[in-house]
Amino acid sequence: MKRFDCLKIIAAEASDALVVTSAGAMTLEWQVLRPSDANLRVRTLGLCSSIALGMALGLPHRKVIALDGDGSLLMNLCSLPTIARMQPKNLLHVVFDNEVYEASGNKKTATAAGTDLVAIARASGIKEARWANSVDAFAQAVTAALSSDGLSFIGAKVTTERTEVPPYPIDEVENKYRFIRHVEKTEKIEIITTSLPASYN
Amino acid sequence: MTAEEAAKIIFNGLKAAGINLIVTLPDINLSQLLREVEEDQDVIHVPLCREEEGIGISAGAYLVGKKCAAIMQNGGFFNSHNAIVTTLLQCEIPLLLLIYYAGDIGDRTFSTSGGLTEPLLRALGIRYWVMRDPGDAPEVIKRAQILAQDSRRPVALLLTKEGLGLRMPIKSL
Repeated sequence: MKRFDCLKIIAAEASDALVVTSAGAMTLEWQVLRPSDANLRVRTLGLCSSIALGMALGLPHRKVIALDGDGSLLMNLCSLPTIARMQPKNLLHVVFDNEVYEASGNKKTATAAGTDLVAIARASGIKEARWANSVDAFAQAVTAALSSDGLSFIGAKVTTERTEVPPYPIDEVENKYRFIRHVEKTEKIEIITTSLPASYN
Repeated sequence: MTAEEAAKIIFNGLKAAGINLIVTLPDINLSQLLREVEEDQDVIHVPLCREEEGIGISAGAYLVGKKCAAIMQNGGFFNSHNAIVTTLLQCEIPLLLLIYYAGDIGDRTFSTSGGLTEPLLRALGIRYWVMRDPGDAPEVIKRAQILAQDSRRPVALLLTKEGLGLRMPIKSL
């Protein structure tokens, strides 16, 4: 499977979900398919699933999607038992497993030697964890996950093929502010208030 | 003051400062404080497997409006450095860090960690205060939280044994 084809399926169904993307080219592909201030690009390899968990716990009525990679998840495997322990009903965790550290020179990850991330997710306590082995199966799994009221994990083996897309011209601080302002507007809450007093206090 | 009383004062200070999501990983000296976190019905408590994931969880929760604190040992602070640098500092995200000061004066077993804790906080540019009187905790926490939010950076409070009501305070420390 091609990652871009899988991302198209998610983009068609994501609606107003908050989407966290891991480091690498996937972020750029996702931004082209669903350009939105509801997208957050992660800078720390591994933290995609944890940042998404924090969002899911903070806004339990809003769908949150983590678009993770195998190298990223392998670096933070302990996020799986923590996610299982917290059981956020609004979280969908997708892992695109291309068996390499794509952004770091295509060296093989442990999944190339047989490590099964879906089996680890299930053994961690995430019951709805499955591999999607075709684009059709992936589409069905995404539809099922986004229409369900429960935690889901989907693994997809994808090729290392990249899709040519334009660069993503905003830095992490601008990404942060745009994301927060989007959440404030759509949730009608205040997150960052700058107090400019008449005098210092 | 007993450890139970100190834990209640510190935890109530966190709640009074608006903290509503807390990530934790145990140290034996934090037991009473963590019991307060566990038993509370309002604050979201996320028990961690490794402290670095807690930095990510807190960052994600902050971005959707939560006010977060992380409670851990200094060993856990060391575990979290890449996340602190490339998520909190790089993206300008505040977080209140409550770090048990293992290897503090008179504390056995982790003297190497104790010796490196403050130098590493300084190296990361994280402002911090050492807490030695639980009675001061509510005001210190309130001010630290204001600083974290205003500076959009992590701020650390180092919890010592006397700060947790676990031993006699010494006036000159």
